[in-house]
Amino acid sequence: MTDERVWGSGRIWAARLVLLAVFFVLWEWAATSKLIDPILIGKPTGIVQYLWHEVFVTQSLLNDFYWSMGGTMIAFVLGSVAGVLVGMLFVTSPTTEAVLNPIFTALNAMPRIALAPLFIIWFGLGLGSKVAVGFSLTFFIVLSSTVAGGRGVNPDHITLARTLGASGSQIFRKFVLPSAVPVIFNGLRLGLVFALLGVIGAEIFASEHGLGQTLSVLAASFKTNGVFGIIFLLSMIGVGISSGMNSLENRLLRWR
Amino acid sequence: MNMAMNPTQMKASAGTVAKPAPGSIIFDKVSVAFEAAKLTAVSEFSLNIAPSEFVSIVGPSGCGKTTLLNFAAGLLPSGAGRGTLLVNGKPPVTGSHDLAYMLARDALAPWRTALGNAELGAEVRGVPAEKRRARAVDLLEKVGLKGFENAYPKALSQGMRQRVALARTFSLDSPILLMDEPFGALDAQTKLQLEDVLLSLWQREQRTVLFITHDLSEAVSMSDRVLVMSSRPGRIIADVPITLGRPRSVRALQKEPHYHELYAQVWSKLEEGLSQ
Repeated sequence: MTDERVWGSGRIWAARLVLLAVFFVLWEWAATSKLIDPILIGKPTGIVQYLWHEVFVTQSLLNDFYWSMGGTMIAFVLGSVAGVLVGMLFVTSPTTEAVLNPIFTALNAMPRIALAPLFIIWFGLGLGSKVAVGFSLTFFIVLSSTVAGGRGVNPDHITLARTLGASGSQIFRKFVLPSAVPVIFNGLRLGLVFALLGVIGAEIFASEHGLGQTLSVLAASFKTNGVFGIIFLLSMIGVGISSGMNSLENRLLRWR
Repeated sequence: MNMAMNPTQMKASAGTVAKPAPGSIIFDKVSVAFEAAKLTAVSEFSLNIAPSEFVSIVGPSGCGKTTLLNFAAGLLPSGAGRGTLLVNGKPPVTGSHDLAYMLARDALAPWRTALGNAELGAEVRGVPAEKRRARAVDLLEKVGLKGFENAYPKALSQGMRQRVALARTFSLDSPILLMDEPFGALDAQTKLQLEDVLLSLWQREQRTVLFITHDLSEAVSMSDRVLVMSSRPGRIIADVPITLGRPRSVRALQKEPHYHELYAQVWSKLEEGLSQ
């Protein structure tokens, strides 16, 4: 997909900027005129000031950013690898799936954020508990997409493979796996977003570092500008993640 | 069923006494029944296909044509087929290197380029990379796809995709080709072109072809022999030798009177079979 299709042409851009400018001017005006209490909504200039100070002057947010992203990446990689491996095991061994699937479905049904306190007891306030929450989300998402992808193999390909005399591992490597990749990729994209969600959520509970931890401290002391600043940063990270995954997908799956 | 009354049947089964030649396919009193579905797909089917012969089977849908092909390819569940079937002198085995199977749908791998697809069969069968690539490049040229080696299937038309499937089938060294309505999904014009492509490939290499179709004109224009099958349970009701010269051009045949006579002959047999 071209940038033009995603972001629109120049005129669309102009309209978008005008809309945002009007929004922020109104927001600023509502806050300064005390129409709405700034403790509730903060102030755009205050948010910019906060971000500038914490990112470029004290650089404290950079440190938090690295902790959160590090946790997210570790949770994502571990969760994805485990999800793909177990998913492939399910695809190749229906018995294993029959045994484990109901158990996994029950585990997946638990609200994972509710497990965060438990993980904090087990793994402490550091990175471990954050990774555990992120992992528990990513794993199941990637697992189910891997199983769906593995199941989605074209029966004609299997017939062809059998008449060619393909071995079980050849069928898997040359037909099942490549045809599963696009579906697995959808799971990975979602898994990365959920890894971030899990890590930030666990940081909000209790942590030593991270954007989630700073967010909860700021919110507890009614520093609304800071809260908005971090929410803005998090949404930027989310946008970065999905566009990164999109361009990776387009590169790897040119054949689609 | 009054099988014994059928002279064609008698002749075909008499042939099986001879020692099977390499490249031959011999069906001797083959029956296929699917226990689970309580269905007899084929009953006492006998046919002797000589090496490098091009034989087509036509018949109404559900007459068991594809079942016969699947039996020869070793794709039937064990115990479903009875009688003697010898493919290249051996009982059918799944994945036998003696045969190449071409399906009705192209079954191209969308993640592989045309070249990657053309060499897929040989790759699975362990042909060294350099050899199979050279072969695939050559075949893509022969089927008229020179310059499309690096195109992905999504960029190819249906006819082009079936050309790639032809190249994939011919890139295998198997002496026997089994084809299950490979051009069934194509429009009439594309179909004629591809039939000529198939004939030219076959003419060069002289492999045995067992071709399944429900299209009479396709069967008559390409084959040495056309077998007409009755509706289920399928049995042979006619074995018509196609006395047209070789090499042939399917497109040129369209204007040849003898071709139309043969077509009418096969057609009347098929009609007899349906009204029985």
